[in-house]
Amino acid sequence: MYVEINGLTFSYRNAKEKTIQDASIAIEKGEIITILGQSGSGKSTILRLIAGLEMPESGTIKINGQIMTDDATFVSPEKRGVGMVFQDYALFPHMTVAANIKFGLKKMNRYERDARLKEVIDLVGLTGFEKRYPYELSGGQQQRVALARAMAPNPSLIMFDEPFSNLDADLQIKIRDELRDILKKAGITSIFVTHDQEDARAIADRVIMMDHGHIMKTGTPDLILT
Amino acid sequence: MKAIRFFRLHLNVWSIMSIIFTLLIISPTLSIFIQIFEKPNENWYHIQEFLLKNYIQNTLVIVFFTGFFSVMIGVSLAWLVTAYRFPLRNFFKWGLILPLAIPPYIGAYTYHGILNYTGVVQATLRNQFDIKANHAYFDIMNIPGAIFIFTIFLYPYVYIITRAYLEQQSASLVENARLLGSGPVQLFFRVIMPISRTAIVGGVSLVVLEVLNDYGVVSYFGIQVFTTAIFQAWFGMSDVASAIKLAGILMAIVFAILFLEKVLRGRKKYSYSNAKVRPLEPISLSREKTAVLFVYTALIFTIGFVIPFVQLFQWMLLTFEKVASEEFLTLIFNSVYVSLIAASLIMVIALVIGNFTRLSDGAWAKAVSRITVLGYSIPGAVIAIGVLTFFLWIDRQLKGVYHAMGIEAPIILSLSIIMLLFAYVSRFLAIGFNPIDSGFDKIGRSFTEASRLLGIPLTRTFFKVDLPMIRGAVFGGFTLAFIEVMKELPLTLLLQPFNFYTLATKAFQYANDERIYEAALASMLIILISGVSIFIFHKVLEKENR
Amino acid sequence: MNNRKFKFLSILFTLAVMLLAACSGNNNSAEPETGTKADEETKDAGVVNLYTSRHYETDDALFEQFTEETGIKVNVVKGEEDELMERLTREGEATEADVFYTADAGRLHWAKEKGLLQSIESETLEANVPENYRDIDNEWFGLTKRARVIVYAKDRVTPEDLSTYEALTEEQWKGKVLIRSSENIYNQSLVASFISLNGADAAKEWAQGIVNNMARDPEGGDRDQAKAIAAGEGDVAVMNTYYFGQMLNSEDAEEVKVAEQLGVFFPNQETNGTHVNVSGAGVTKHAKNKENAIKFLEFLSSEEAQGQFSEANYEYPVNPNVEPSELLASWGDFKAQDLNMSELGKYNADALKLMNEVEWK
Repeated sequence: MYVEINGLTFSYRNAKEKTIQDASIAIEKGEIITILGQSGSGKSTILRLIAGLEMPESGTIKINGQIMTDDATFVSPEKRGVGMVFQDYALFPHMTVAANIKFGLKKMNRYERDARLKEVIDLVGLTGFEKRYPYELSGGQQQRVALARAMAPNPSLIMFDEPFSNLDADLQIKIRDELRDILKKAGITSIFVTHDQEDARAIADRVIMMDHGHIMKTGTPDLILT
Repeated sequence: MKAIRFFRLHLNVWSIMSIIFTLLIISPTLSIFIQIFEKPNENWYHIQEFLLKNYIQNTLVIVFFTGFFSVMIGVSLAWLVTAYRFPLRNFFKWGLILPLAIPPYIGAYTYHGILNYTGVVQATLRNQFDIKANHAYFDIMNIPGAIFIFTIFLYPYVYIITRAYLEQQSASLVENARLLGSGPVQLFFRVIMPISRTAIVGGVSLVVLEVLNDYGVVSYFGIQVFTTAIFQAWFGMSDVASAIKLAGILMAIVFAILFLEKVLRGRKKYSYSNAKVRPLEPISLSREKTAVLFVYTALIFTIGFVIPFVQLFQWMLLTFEKVASEEFLTLIFNSVYVSLIAASLIMVIALVIGNFTRLSDGAWAKAVSRITVLGYSIPGAVIAIGVLTFFLWIDRQLKGVYHAMGIEAPIILSLSIIMLLFAYVSRFLAIGFNPIDSGFDKIGRSFTEASRLLGIPLTRTFFKVDLPMIRGAVFGGFTLAFIEVMKELPLTLLLQPFNFYTLATKAFQYANDERIYEAALASMLIILISGVSIFIFHKVLEKENR
Repeated sequence: MNNRKFKFLSILFTLAVMLLAACSGNNNSAEPETGTKADEETKDAGVVNLYTSRHYETDDALFEQFTEETGIKVNVVKGEEDELMERLTREGEATEADVFYTADAGRLHWAKEKGLLQSIESETLEANVPENYRDIDNEWFGLTKRARVIVYAKDRVTPEDLSTYEALTEEQWKGKVLIRSSENIYNQSLVASFISLNGADAAKEWAQGIVNNMARDPEGGDRDQAKAIAAGEGDVAVMNTYYFGQMLNSEDAEEVKVAEQLGVFFPNQETNGTHVNVSGAGVTKHAKNKENAIKFLEFLSSEEAQGQFSEANYEYPVNPNVEPSELLASWGDFKAQDLNMSELGKYNADALKLMNEVEWK
C-alpha cells in the first residue's frame, strides 16, 4: 500500500463532536481516490491531517512505508513531500505564474528549474502565461497554475480540496477530464475531496463516502454511486 | 509520548521567541499589576473618598465623547476619500493623517494660545475692531475643550485603519447597496459603518488608550481625570505605592475591556485568500455635493493641522533667534535615531508575536497578543518605574559580569539608552502590533500552508510569502510607531541617560515653564519629521497598491 | 500641478533632514553613551552628575561656566522632580547622581526624609545661604527664591484695597479671585505654609474661603491667571513673581500689554510675611563625586552665579550679598514668611488633602 491510514481520530478545539472518528484508508500507488461527503463530514480534515497541517489525537499515517504521524512521531508538512491544491488555490499574489510554479523547486539549479517549469506549464497548457500575475488570470487558469505548482516538485501524493467548486459548469467538465489525463500520465497518486457525485464518477478509480466523521462505504464509482 | 510529539510540533523559533519577548515585555508591567493587591494605606481612603468618584465620571465623559467623535470624523473621512472624487483628494488621502504628527499636549497649548486673552483671535478683535468679547466664549480649558483637542489630534487612528480596510472591500458590496436604493447617508450608516466594525474598534481603542494615559492635556486644562488621581497620589502626597496601585487598577480595567472585545468578536474571520477582489472605484458627484464634501474635508484638515501649524510657525519665528542653536541638530539626530531603532524593534517583535499567534489556535496564544497592549494602557511615567526597577534588577544580577570585565560602576544598563529603547518598545508595541495583526488576519493561513506543502519550512515561508504579503501593514505599523516614539515624553523624561535630550523633552522644557513660544521650534521639528514620515509611508503604500 | 510641487518640496525637505541628521551624527555619534562614559571619566577629568527638575537656559549657562572654571564636567538628567526622586530611590546605592536639584523646598524636604541626601560641611555654603533657606542638617541648600504674590488690575483695584492672603477670602472679593489648580506645587506649598504658621483648621478655612471667592474653576498656568484679570474675569490673582517677570519681557507684545495693566502686591507685610519658596539642591547620599558636588553647590551659591539667577531668570537670590535685579527691585523690598523651608515639605500632603476636601479643583 502506498498510503496507509489507521484508526485516525481528530477533533477541532472547542468542538463537541469528533471531526474524524477511527478512519482507516489504504491507497495504492497511482490510484485516484475521491472522498465524497456533505460539508462538515470531515472530508477536508482528512486531507489536512495527511498533509500535516493538523495533528490527530490518535491513529497513524504512513506514506510510502514511512511513518508520518503516530503517537510519538510528527513529520512537519514541509518534509512530507505531499502536494495539495487548495479550494481557493492560494496562489501567491505577489509572484508571477512562473515564480509561483518554481516556488517549491528548491533543490534544483536554475536550468533544472526552468526546464521543470516548462514541463509542467506545458502539461497544464498555460505556455505563454509565465509572466502574468494571478489576478490577471481567469478562474480556470488560476486552478491550473495551482495544479502546476503542486506537481512541479514531483510529490509522491497530490491532494485536491474541492478543486472544481469555483469553476462554472462547462469549465468544470473540461478541466476534470484534462486533470485525470494529466495525473494518469504522470502516474501520481491523488486524493480528491468533493461533494459532487459527478466529479467523483468522472475522475475516481475508487470512492470513499464519509458522513459525520465516519467512513461509510468504499469502492469503485460504479459500485458506490447510483 | 504525546507530549514529545506536542513539543515537536509547537516548539520552534517563533514560539520560543514569542514567549521570551512576551516575558520581557510583561515583566515591568507585571510589577505594576501586582500592586493592586497591596494593602491600602491612609492616603488610599482619602483618594477614594474625595477624588475617584468625580474623576472617574470626568474620565468616562471624555473617553465616551472623544471615542464617539473620533469614529464619526475618522470613518466619514475614510469613506469619503475612498468612495468619491473631489479636489485634492490624493493629497487629503495622507494629509488627513497629519494631525497625528502633533502631540495632543502641544495641540492643547497651541489652541489655548490662539484663543486666550492675548491670543491672535481676541487680540485682533480688541485691537482692530475694538470688540471686547466675553473671555469665557474663548475658553477651551474645560471638558468639551479637552474632548475637542483629543478628537482632532487622535481621529487619524480611526481614519487610517478604516481607510485601509475600506480599500480592501469589494466594490460589489457598495454597488449592491446602491442598487437597492440606499442614499449616501443610509449607505454610510447602514452599510459602511457596520462592515468596518473591526477596523473601527481597532482604531478607536488606540484613541481611548491615548486618552486614558494622557496627563499633559488634562493637567494643563485643570481637568481632573483618573490619571490626575495617580499623579496627585505620587506628586502631591509622595505616595508612589498608591499611585502604582491606581495605575494597576486602570490597567486591569483596560485589559478586561479589550479581552471582552476580542471574545465578542469571536472567531469571525475576515480573510480573503482569492486573488484580489475588484476594488472600489471612486465616483464623481454633482458640483454642489462635491463642494460640500471638499469643504468638510478641508475644514477638518484646517482645524487639525493648518491652524496649529501656522500658529506654531509664527511663534517659532518670534523666538527663533533666541532659541535656535546647534544643539537642535543633536536633538533632531537623537529623536530620529531612537525613533528609528525603537520602531524597528517594535516591528520585529510585533511580527514574531503576530506570526506566532496566527499559527497557533490556543487560547494562551490569544492572551499573548492581548498582553502587547498592556504597556499602552497606563501613564508613561508609571510604566517607566516598572522598566527602571526591572533594569536595576538586571544590573544587580550582572554585577559579577561587570566586575569580571573590569568595570567598577554598579549600574550600566540602567544608565544607557537600552533602557529607554526597551521602555519605548514595551509601551508602543500595541501601536505596531495592531496593523500586523489585522494584516495577518486578512491573508489568512492558506498561503502559508501552501508554501509549507511545497517543502518550504516555516521561517523561510515567513520571509518569502507572509512578509511580502503584509508589507503594507508593516510599513503602516512602522510609521505609527516611529511617530509615537518621536512624540513620546514621560518615558524619556524619567529614563533618559545623562545629557540625552530629544525634541520632545526640549519642547517640554519650555512648555512646562509656560514658555509656549520658545517651545514652538522643537514642536515644529517634531511635526515636520513626523509629517515627512507620513508622506513617505503614503508613497510606499501607493506603490504597493499599484 | 500643485501636487507635484508639493511632492518636490517634501522630498527636498526629507533630504535636508537626512543631511542634518548625518552631520550631527558625525559630531555626536557617541552622545548616547555619555552616561556610561561619565563614570570612566570620573578618574581622570572629574565630573559631577546632576538630576535636575529645572529647565532653564540660565542654569545651562552656569553649568558651562562651572566647567570652564573648574574643569569639572557637568552631566545632566532633566526631568520632573518627583520622578527623579523615585529614580534616585530605586537606584539606591548604585546611583550615579551626585546632586539633586529642584524648584520646590517641599521636594527637597521629602528627598531628605527618604534618605536620598547627605549632610555636608561647607563654610562657603553656610555663609552664602541664610539659615531659614537651608536644611537644619545641611542636607540641602536653597539657591533661589520666588515669592507668591497678589497681582491686581491697576484700573479696578488699588494697593490700599489689599492687605493679606487671608483678606482675599472676604466678601468683597467674591467672584474675583483667580488662582490655579490644587495640583500645582506652588499652591500646595502656599497652603502648607499656612498649616505651619496658622494651623490646619485655619488653613482649611482659608482654602474654603478662596474656593468660595473664585472667579472661575481653576485652569491653566500662572500666566493664564494674569491674562484672566486683563480679560476682566477677575480682579486679583495669586501668582509667582517669576512668571510675571517673564510676561513683562515676553516676545509677544500682547503679553507685555497685559502685564503692564497689572500691579504686584506683597501680602502679609504687616503680619507674618509673603510666601516664598526656594529652588535648591543637595548632595545625594550615595554620591560618587562628593567633592565635586560640594564645589558645584558652592559655585551656584556664589555671588557671581546668584547675580545671574536674578538677572536672567527673574528669581530672587538667596545670597544676602547679592542685590536682586533692577526689575525685581522695582517691585520693592518685602518681608518673607519666617519659616524654615522644611515645613513646606512636611505639610505638603496635608495641604493637598485639605484642598481636595474643600473641592479646590
